[in-house]
Amino acid sequence: MSHADTIPFHSSSQSDIDEIENLINSDALSATVSAARPPSPPRASFSSAALPPPYQKVPRSSSLPLPPPPVTPSAAAPRPGGGVAADGFGSPPDTLTEPVLDTVKRDLTRIVSNLKLVVFPNPFREDPGKALRDWDLWGPFFFIIFLGLTLSWSASVKKSEVFAVAFAVLAAGAVILTLNVLLLGGRIIFFQSLSLLGYCLFPLDIGALICSLKNNVVIKIVVASITLAWSSWAAYPFMSAAVDPRRKALALYPVFLMYVSVGFLIVAID
Amino acid sequence: MEEGYTSLPASHLLGSVPAVIAEDKTTSVASEAASSANLHLFPPSNGGYQAPGTPSGADEQTTSSWQGVFSISSYSSYFNVDTDVVVERIISSVYPMNDFYRKIDGNPDLYGPIWISATLMFMLAALGNVGTYVMEKRNDSSTTWTFDVNYVEWSACAIFGYVLAVPAAFYFLLQYFGFRTSLVRLWCMWGYSLFIFMPICMLLVVPVELFRWIIIILAGTASSWFIAVNLKACTQSSDLMILIVGAMVLQFALALFIKMFFFP
Repeated sequence: MSHADTIPFHSSSQSDIDEIENLINSDALSATVSAARPPSPPRASFSSAALPPPYQKVPRSSSLPLPPPPVTPSAAAPRPGGGVAADGFGSPPDTLTEPVLDTVKRDLTRIVSNLKLVVFPNPFREDPGKALRDWDLWGPFFFIIFLGLTLSWSASVKKSEVFAVAFAVLAAGAVILTLNVLLLGGRIIFFQSLSLLGYCLFPLDIGALICSLKNNVVIKIVVASITLAWSSWAAYPFMSAAVDPRRKALALYPVFLMYVSVGFLIVAID
Repeated sequence: MEEGYTSLPASHLLGSVPAVIAEDKTTSVASEAASSANLHLFPPSNGGYQAPGTPSGADEQTTSSWQGVFSISSYSSYFNVDTDVVVERIISSVYPMNDFYRKIDGNPDLYGPIWISATLMFMLAALGNVGTYVMEKRNDSSTTWTFDVNYVEWSACAIFGYVLAVPAAFYFLLQYFGFRTSLVRLWCMWGYSLFIFMPICMLLVVPVELFRWIIIILAGTASSWFIAVNLKACTQSSDLMILIVGAMVLQFALALFIKMFFFP
């Protein structure tokens, strides 16, 4: 097999660029095609071996040369020439040739894990910021479309206008809410915030589904209030942490307004 | 000046971002003093990001003045308010005798107008449907609840159109008559003047027609009076009575439109 697995590199005495060159050279010797990878900035993230998803993000504590990362030679063996799976720096060619089912499964697991982190927050979890780092936009997309479709399906007239209004309010609302936080001097990353606000729609999706099955106004109001409170409670920690404490209410009120208006749409659509 | 920027010792490292924290603090203090004087210019002219080492004195207005329109950080000076400031401005907008204009003179904000308009838009759409249903039910008890989604679109166009267009028109008219006033203050004032319609919406659901008319006339009068008092404070003269009367009429017309379209 390739020599890549057995090179004991001393990060103190060798720069990472040299390591990559060595690996590429050794791969060239063993006649496997290695990915044309530009020299990465010093990141020393060579613990690729143990990671089944090829581009899972490695914790970024590595602007300095790490102590020798735990490369397990045996696990690196099945991946010839791909031993340099850098973390998200450019996905290795395997994700282009893998079966579609693998890609879908990976995205779905990420959506589920983000959902669990955002909507069912466990106060004792070990890494509260994980959902923020692993943001994605597929989950929010599914939830917004699902909510629009459910509302449109349960409307008896003007179905397409109902969908249009729901989609516009939710999509534009997420963007405007993020801009609001930024303008109030808060610190938040645009797409992280879009992702969070989209995931916090999940309770309202459940509420819309329940309300579309039952047509009793009182039940609808109760269900909508509960899911609305749950959504706001899920969004609260992220939004309030992003701004100055004196402006917390200014940042949270528009979130509440958006969820209340969507809740009203859910109740009112007959 | 670029010498502050290039004299940083780290700039020889390829791909590294020079640490500019120390310079940033000093320039940001100076730039705050300069930018607070610029709040009367609406399209922000400070070019957005202040590169460290660039002079932030009085001569920055001539350079790169159009780039400020597209960067978010240059608009955040219009949102420099805390929760208690916003609440205080809202309360003083309901009583038209207070000096609202003096309160916003130094620090006009756009947070209030935007979110008061958005809230009013949703309330009109929602309560308009409820009020229409209740009125029809009272007249003819076999009507069923229908939710007219077009109310959302109409209320969005009406409220946001009014808050955007009317102050802009008055800004140009006042400029024509020689008054230097600021567009942001006019937007702020008109936006806060809409707050009184929010509790009025809730009262308009009551299906008694006479009650509805009395409520809306009172609200329209209070709101127009608020606009008139503050426009007078803004222009500091009484020569423009025609403009002030025009503003009052427009505000009253908005109140009537709210009643007649959303709560027929």
